[in-house]
Amino acid sequence: MADADRSSGGEDTGMTSTEATEPVLVAENLRKSYGERIAVDGVGFNIGPSETYGLLGPNGAGKTTTISMICGLLVRDGGSVTVDGRAIDVGQASAKGAIGYVPQDLAIYPELTARENLRFFGQLYGIGGRELPKRMDEVLEIIGLADRADERTDQFSGGMKRRLNIGIGLLHRPRLLVLDEPTVGVDPQSRNAILSSVETLSEQGMAILYTTHYMEEAERLCDRVGIIDEGKIRAEGTRRELVGLIGERDRVSLTVSGSAAEAATALRAIDGVDEATPHEGGVTLLVVEARNLLPRILEVATQAGASVGGVEIVEPDLEAVFLHLTGRALRD
Amino acid sequence: MRAALLIAAKDLRERLRDRTALIVAVIAPFGLAAILGTVIPSGDGSLDLRYAIADADGSPVSTAFLEGPLAGLSDAGIAEITPVDGADAARAAVDDDEADAAFLIPAGFGEASRGTAAAEIELITRADASIAGQIGQSVAEQFAAELDAVRLSVVAAVAAGGVPPDPDEIARLASSAAEASSEPPPIVVEVASTEVAEVDSRTYYAASMAIFFLFFTASFGPLSLLNERRQGTLARLVAAPIHPWAIVLGKSLGSFILGIVATGVLVVASTLILGARWGDPFGVAVLVLAAVTAASGITGLVTTLARTEQQADGLNSIVAVTLAVLGGTFIPLSQAPEILGQIGLITPHAWFLDGLDELAVPASGIGAVLLPTGVLLLIGLVTGAIGLVRARRLVVTR
Repeated sequence: MADADRSSGGEDTGMTSTEATEPVLVAENLRKSYGERIAVDGVGFNIGPSETYGLLGPNGAGKTTTISMICGLLVRDGGSVTVDGRAIDVGQASAKGAIGYVPQDLAIYPELTARENLRFFGQLYGIGGRELPKRMDEVLEIIGLADRADERTDQFSGGMKRRLNIGIGLLHRPRLLVLDEPTVGVDPQSRNAILSSVETLSEQGMAILYTTHYMEEAERLCDRVGIIDEGKIRAEGTRRELVGLIGERDRVSLTVSGSAAEAATALRAIDGVDEATPHEGGVTLLVVEARNLLPRILEVATQAGASVGGVEIVEPDLEAVFLHLTGRALRD
Repeated sequence: MRAALLIAAKDLRERLRDRTALIVAVIAPFGLAAILGTVIPSGDGSLDLRYAIADADGSPVSTAFLEGPLAGLSDAGIAEITPVDGADAARAAVDDDEADAAFLIPAGFGEASRGTAAAEIELITRADASIAGQIGQSVAEQFAAELDAVRLSVVAAVAAGGVPPDPDEIARLASSAAEASSEPPPIVVEVASTEVAEVDSRTYYAASMAIFFLFFTASFGPLSLLNERRQGTLARLVAAPIHPWAIVLGKSLGSFILGIVATGVLVVASTLILGARWGDPFGVAVLVLAAVTAASGITGLVTTLARTEQQADGLNSIVAVTLAVLGGTFIPLSQAPEILGQIGLITPHAWFLDGLDELAVPASGIGAVLLPTGVLLLIGLVTGAIGLVRARRLVVTR
């Protein structure tokens, strides 16, 4: 079950894939204030191997502050973070090697080439010898910049810079990859490439923390999502769990000619149809698993003497969940 | 330390690709030093004296004056000696600025040196050539003193019943007396004393421009910290498995190395191309190291007082120009009011230039720059320590 009270790490999240596995990240009761303003208030969650966890929330919700504390960039007021069993703090240098951090800004050096950027950060993470060129080549292939590797990055497009930004975070093969809104300002093609890369990395076993304010990205990538707003995690769970918070029913709108009332009566008899409301020119239904039930709905409507001219299915999504939880739209 | 070196190397690579850094670190100071050193005369810092001499005597004694002390000045490259015909020509040479001073040796000078009357050499100087007058007077008086001693000895010998010596013998005795003196010839002492005061203008402007621009070069490291914070790479550095101090040290080290290399290039280039004379290489190296330390410390501290890169850039520029003006970078403090000379002692610029003046003394070495070096290091270490602590606060966000 997903609700705000369960956000303080460690509890059952409904993900059977991670239940029996030691979490890669354990963040507990993170707190951060700036004067009177509370930026993060008791945030906590776990991420297991191969799991992609999304922090979904609008700008200013506390996403970046949270991951800044997780990555040891920011001195926290309270709480704890362990990655791969080791405590993370600003001064804990060696433990940070388990994290690959991809900041929201394009954190690359414009005067250096892509390869020089990778080499510098690879060396900072202690990769050396013949291993470093090998990993650089691997990463350049993954991010699709192998043929531009020796060009200065100030000559790159925004999408290329964004991909290199991610590549640097991958170079040392971290246990936990933290991506802070990696697709902001990216063209659709590069965005799709980035999302595909994240999916591939997850399949390869990497734990991923992904912050975004794009609902579609969270739905596509994340095994679990924490909905964050005003520094608190309002709800957490799989997409289905979160949608369940507002009633897990799809809305089906049928455009019909003929008797809508008779059609509605017949449709109510279908197992899985909770409501069928006739109105002028059509019937609106609330159903469980609309896509599975749609053939039966059309068949019954036709048998009831209605001619179906159009169908629209509206599934509840995270946007609706966020609206339900906060009273605001995700992009307000 | 490895991480600090990596960051320093990365910063240097970035700086070398940024042509503005090359301009600020080397081209601008060298160009300005070349222009100022050429256009602005050396003043009293460089001796290039011109003497006319009218020898109406032509005796062995007057010849001894010409071939002795005056030839010594000429051989030392201090003065150009031009014989002229008669006293009027000598006066005209001085009046027409063809000579800074003139020696008039009257007819009978050699003869007088054998008798009881004093032998006189007249020195004509211009009011605006006091150095030439002082040196000329010193040379003439010294020769006269030596000659007088010989003459009195001769007179005493004659009075005792001896035979008056030949004038050639008197001249030989006078020269021998001067050479035999255990004290160095006064003129040599005077010239050396003049060179202690200041280096020549080419060296002066090469040095002053070097330290002036050093403050801009040294600010690259601290400024790049703010730059990295703005562009997001600082967060990436902090996220790496390195200690925050490594970032601060790496930034400081990068600009420190750049400062040393840039100043070293300026020293060599100004020596080879402009003819600057910096003095003992080891002493210069120590002085440069200390100056770079001071500049790095001050710029590091000033930069951390700012919130943004632009603010820091502005603050550094104000501090660099103010210290340069007070420190005698544009106008030598020796030519400024005394109070300015006292105020200038709070600036690294004044101590650096003072150290170079010390090194201009012949045969001086590192011992001559111990005080300026110590002061520069003290300034650098105190301001640098505060700056490093403040810089760490920029790295570790609270």
